Amino acid sequence: MTFDLLSIYPAKLMEYGLGVGYMLLFIPFWRYVQGSAKPAEATVRVPGHAPAMAREKRAPAATAPAYGWFQIPAGLKLHPGHTWARVEDDGVVTVGMDDFAQKLVGPARVALPSVGARVAQGEAAFEVATGNGSVPMLSPVEGTVVAVNEAARASAETLSEPYGKGWLFKVKAPRLARDLRQLISDNAATRFLEGAAETLAAQMSPQLGQVLQDGGAPILGIGPEIAGEKWTDLARKFFLT
Amino acid sequence: MASASTTAVATGPSFVRQKILLGMNGRDYLKSLVTPNNLIITAILVAGLPVLAWRFIAGLGAVTNLSQTAPWGIWIGFDMMTGIVLAAGGFTIGSAVQIFNLKDYHPIERPAILTAFLGYVMAIFGLLADLGRPWNIVMALVSNGAASVLYEVAWCVMCYSTVLALEFSVPLFEWLGWKKLHSIMKKTLVALTVLSVIFSTMHQSALGSLFLLAPTKLHPLWYTPYIFVFFFVSAIIAGLSMVIVESFLSHKAFASQLKGAHFDLDKLTLGLGRAAAIVMFAYFFLKLQGVVDGHTWGYLATGYGAWWLVETVGFGLVPALLCAWGARNGSVKAVRIGGAMGVLSIALNRLNMSVIAFNWNEPVRYFPSWQEVLVSLTLCTLGVVLFRFIVNRMPILKEDPAFPQEH
Repeated sequence: MTFDLLSIYPAKLMEYGLGVGYMLLFIPFWRYVQGSAKPAEATVRVPGHAPAMAREKRAPAATAPAYGWFQIPAGLKLHPGHTWARVEDDGVVTVGMDDFAQKLVGPARVALPSVGARVAQGEAAFEVATGNGSVPMLSPVEGTVVAVNEAARASAETLSEPYGKGWLFKVKAPRLARDLRQLISDNAATRFLEGAAETLAAQMSPQLGQVLQDGGAPILGIGPEIAGEKWTDLARKFFLT
Repeated sequence: MASASTTAVATGPSFVRQKILLGMNGRDYLKSLVTPNNLIITAILVAGLPVLAWRFIAGLGAVTNLSQTAPWGIWIGFDMMTGIVLAAGGFTIGSAVQIFNLKDYHPIERPAILTAFLGYVMAIFGLLADLGRPWNIVMALVSNGAASVLYEVAWCVMCYSTVLALEFSVPLFEWLGWKKLHSIMKKTLVALTVLSVIFSTMHQSALGSLFLLAPTKLHPLWYTPYIFVFFFVSAIIAGLSMVIVESFLSHKAFASQLKGAHFDLDKLTLGLGRAAAIVMFAYFFLKLQGVVDGHTWGYLATGYGAWWLVETVGFGLVPALLCAWGARNGSVKAVRIGGAMGVLSIALNRLNMSVIAFNWNEPVRYFPSWQEVLVSLTLCTLGVVLFRFIVNRMPILKEDPAFPQEH
């Protein structure tokens, strides 16, 4: 009983049956493993048919709990030059500057690209300017600009909600998957902003170390506040331009 | 601030104090060593090292239950076979980063290579303890035994250990601050990774080929002519699972070193879990095919069959499904449990192959003596102590600011 000697045909049938069965099962298994159901992103996504205002109001509500000075909503993709990208339901990518950039620069004007312009990942795409000079900022994705936030261009106040109504422009990105691989999100993005905050704290009081973290949140316009007219040099360091 | 740092350099601490004693003076350093963990470690080493020494003084018979019919004990089955297979993380992650350009995994490459290196060093210690006349091992270098599988195993161990030592030299030179040698070794890293894949492939599978010589000694459920393929595929599982487990443990134990690190271990763990699930799934069917091909399914109804099912289904298919579910649903915990089961499954497989299902039809079975278990435990403890010693000092988890890494 222990060593069953079958005739050749049933034995081969079992071998090939197992082989073919394995391959047939492997396809759904592979698809199951490769697919993902990420709850973090699902909470941020707002139905495409929702009115634009509703979307803008709801996006900040999904903001991750404040961990320090600067915030970033879950699921948002961050570029190291302090700009963010969010893939909308229709596949278009919304771009803006992050909380850190907004607080660093303070009330500012933005010079946005025109609709139809090409932007490239990691290359200057728009400028922020105060009365004391302007600094270029990088685009987080590559593609063609399909919409520009006129409200943000017109009033500095709009920018104070960097992840909501302060979005800057929308891009049709043909090589999105490749671009997104270069961006950081979730925990890594949080840590990145923490790192930037630490660097900034060191800039604010180099002789004392990190005392400012002991109390108080940063004000709007930290750059002009601590570096005066030289704020553009400081901002360029952080924005990688 | 500038002047303060200049004086610090001028009157800076000595090399020993800075590099070995972690910046403390001798007394403070010794004080810092008194911890509950270190007490346990000391107890194991104090008990185990004399036993190891006694084996070399009085011979194998004095401390082991090995005999002419059971010449392979747990020093081979656990220290060697399991130690080597769990070191497969080195070439798995190394090739992912250096050859397949998956740079995301760069932050866990160095700990994986260090684990592999220490795994090999400990396996070699275990092997030397197990060899009746260990000094004769040098004969492998000069004799022409190309027809022998053991000859291949010996050469692969030597070559791969050398490659691992050279790979490890990159963080070592960073630690020593030897910039010139470091830049040379760093340039060779891709070539070394290619060599590590070659030698690992040969070595992992050659350890399986050893069993081709013993078709009647190994239980039919485990014996198959494709045993070397099984060994190689299961080494990949062990490598991936081991990296999942090791990265989790070292990030818990050395959390202070990872402050400000810009990578997301959870994300990497899910990626590793995805890969592990697919290889585990394939390996399960390979094991089934081994049984079908050998017409040995009749044995499944016996006690050994139940044990085989525990290894193959309980620790083979179940972790595959756990890792798959975890990777899909973003549950890092599920992937870690699956990874831990994967490590156990391959360790169990190697023990089954070389000890439990080996010589299964002998009337008198081998059971390890307490000295053998103690020596194995001592070697594992030494590995952990060395790992901790190195990680606390060298840029394994943290980056050396003087040597920025490209990602």
